Amino acid sequence: MSDKISNKQISDLSRARIFKAIKAAAPTVTADISKIEAEALEILGMSESARPRLLSSDATEALMLRIEAGLVIGTTCEKIATLDALPASVKQFFNKHSLPHALKVQELAHLQSLNWDGITIDVDVKEDKTVGLCWAEYGVAETGSFVVHSSADMPILLNFLPLYLVAVIAKSKVLHYMDDYALIANEIAKKAETPRNMCLISGVSGTTDIEGVLVQGAHGPEILHIIIVEDR
Amino acid sequence: MQVNKPENFNANVKKALAQTDLKMIIRRTTDKADSKRAEAVANFPEFENARTQGQKVKDHTIKYMDHYLAEFEKNALAQGTIVHWASTGEEASKIVLDICRQHKAKKVTRSKSMLGEEIGLTHAFDNSEMERIETDLAEHIIQLAGDPPSHIVWPAMHRSREDVIKLFRQFHKDPTYSEEIVDLVGSARRDLRTKFLTSDIGISGSNFLLADSGSSCTVTNEGNAELTITPPKVHIVTAGIEKLVPSMAHAVPLLRLLTRSATGAEITQYITFHNGPKRPNDADGPQECHIVLVDNGRTKMLADGMEEMLRCIRCGACMNHCVVYKHIGGHAYGSVYPGPMGSVLTPHLNSLEVANKQTHACTMNGRCEEVCPVNIPLPKLLRSLRAQSWEKKFEPLTNRFFVQAFSQVAKRPKLFQFASACGVIFMKVFSRKGWIRFMPMTSGWTRNRDLIAPSSQTFMQQYKKMKKAKSGGG
Repeated sequence: MSDKISNKQISDLSRARIFKAIKAAAPTVTADISKIEAEALEILGMSESARPRLLSSDATEALMLRIEAGLVIGTTCEKIATLDALPASVKQFFNKHSLPHALKVQELAHLQSLNWDGITIDVDVKEDKTVGLCWAEYGVAETGSFVVHSSADMPILLNFLPLYLVAVIAKSKVLHYMDDYALIANEIAKKAETPRNMCLISGVSGTTDIEGVLVQGAHGPEILHIIIVEDR
Repeated sequence: MQVNKPENFNANVKKALAQTDLKMIIRRTTDKADSKRAEAVANFPEFENARTQGQKVKDHTIKYMDHYLAEFEKNALAQGTIVHWASTGEEASKIVLDICRQHKAKKVTRSKSMLGEEIGLTHAFDNSEMERIETDLAEHIIQLAGDPPSHIVWPAMHRSREDVIKLFRQFHKDPTYSEEIVDLVGSARRDLRTKFLTSDIGISGSNFLLADSGSSCTVTNEGNAELTITPPKVHIVTAGIEKLVPSMAHAVPLLRLLTRSATGAEITQYITFHNGPKRPNDADGPQECHIVLVDNGRTKMLADGMEEMLRCIRCGACMNHCVVYKHIGGHAYGSVYPGPMGSVLTPHLNSLEVANKQTHACTMNGRCEEVCPVNIPLPKLLRSLRAQSWEKKFEPLTNRFFVQAFSQVAKRPKLFQFASACGVIFMKVFSRKGWIRFMPMTSGWTRNRDLIAPSSQTFMQQYKKMKKAKSGGG
């Protein structure tokens, strides 16, 4: 070991210094935890009067209206009655964008087992200009988002590498507000099942960094299509 | 490009004002941000309530900072994140570089974080054996140009399309020969794609740290944060301790405010919560996750009664609406943080002695406070810094002399009225058609624009006349 101070020591010293400085500063009060928690909860009580109104009281309708109004960048949407109709919708998507009938379908049994006749479903998304299809955990009407959680079946990069992305959301999983999702995340955390990543995706990869001009497909998807499955 | 220093503020400003196209370049971005923000606020009637709520979230967290920091540390450790603490930027940079070296990293990708710039991380990498790759498009542009950022949301706003064309042709492996912006973005996409996938370490900042779960949250429109973080084997987060909020539910109101205030959009395309390293069976993600919690002047702000500034969520609205920023741009401030928020922050990150002139570059028109999503009283904070600077005698002697002379005159109403009457006559001599193009002692103003000629009577003369007319008429 060198005689130089190690990073662990730097970190420990800094930690002590930071806590001491906070304690020394006037605003910090050593209150009991239940008081702090009550105050934190009270602030959340304001949310109902501090969030935007939705375009419909029905979450799915609100989400779709938001996308149809062009408020979610680069995004279109449709509703299908059952999951069996998914391959036909995907074909329509290919045709609309004049794409070869090939994509990467997320490796979930209920997606893989659909009838994908005439479509290649295992392209390598590391190649640019591919299509990805993923199963979202939730939808959020307020922001026009779909939410994905990293897992053994959900590579996060599947949502970022393809140029075209199709996200499928079960109708029963469309939430009204981001606050509703935060509550669910809290429940997951209580069970100690928090995934590594929770991504709220609201539109496509975009940039306005060159002269303020909006360009879609900066690093990730340029086109996003959201499909809502009614019987799920 | 030569990097400006905060202590040379006056010279930096002179240089910026002499650059004739700068104002147009700045306003191309700020005016759009300004009008889009106004539209977003108009479409959100509950905005004021959201603002109050956002302020409360931040104030609450700051009030119990030690509690929440300890909570965050405990929960981050439980997620498998390795937590580091740094009192200064130098310490923080050293910790980050040493982690990279332990992993024998050659290539490091970084998604935009102003804290990274603040702690000198970009510089530290450039002086190391490792290659730093900025993945946010604007940061990519200024890295190629060798520029410091000029805005906290659009760091490359000072660069025109022509500049970008030249830079990309020079540095990209497979550059585009089109001059369309969409093709330029495509060129960057191609260039960065392989770099994302072959990086050894991914570094990000964090917009929010969630105390109850130990998560860090990144907010981008490009999706470059996730592409930076996911492929490499190690993820390092650098974050200021003021980024804390109690929980995800508390981050939500701030997310509603952040994007509307920054770009006028209702939400950013990508909001991701990062919770430590990959789980055993995860399809992708880093195997190791570190977070460096940085003080660098923040606890000093707490001690100095500047805790309101710790509310800042880095939206940039204050600079988009600042008349001074719109004239001189970000580089003149000589700091990572320009504009009103920067003029308050820089004296704490650096020192007031070095960065006191910025506090005077304010007309006190109050626009920054009006648009601040968390109600930071920026003019009040700037005024208190001015007072401190005066008490500590940081002002140049000539300024001190003139201010003291003025206060002597202003205390004597008769003398003051006489002096201002003389001033009116003096200025009249130099005015032509309502404007003054030159006058002794005002070259600082008239070098770049005309001075408006005063009315032919002083305020007191007009006031007396009006009062007389009123009492006569009544």
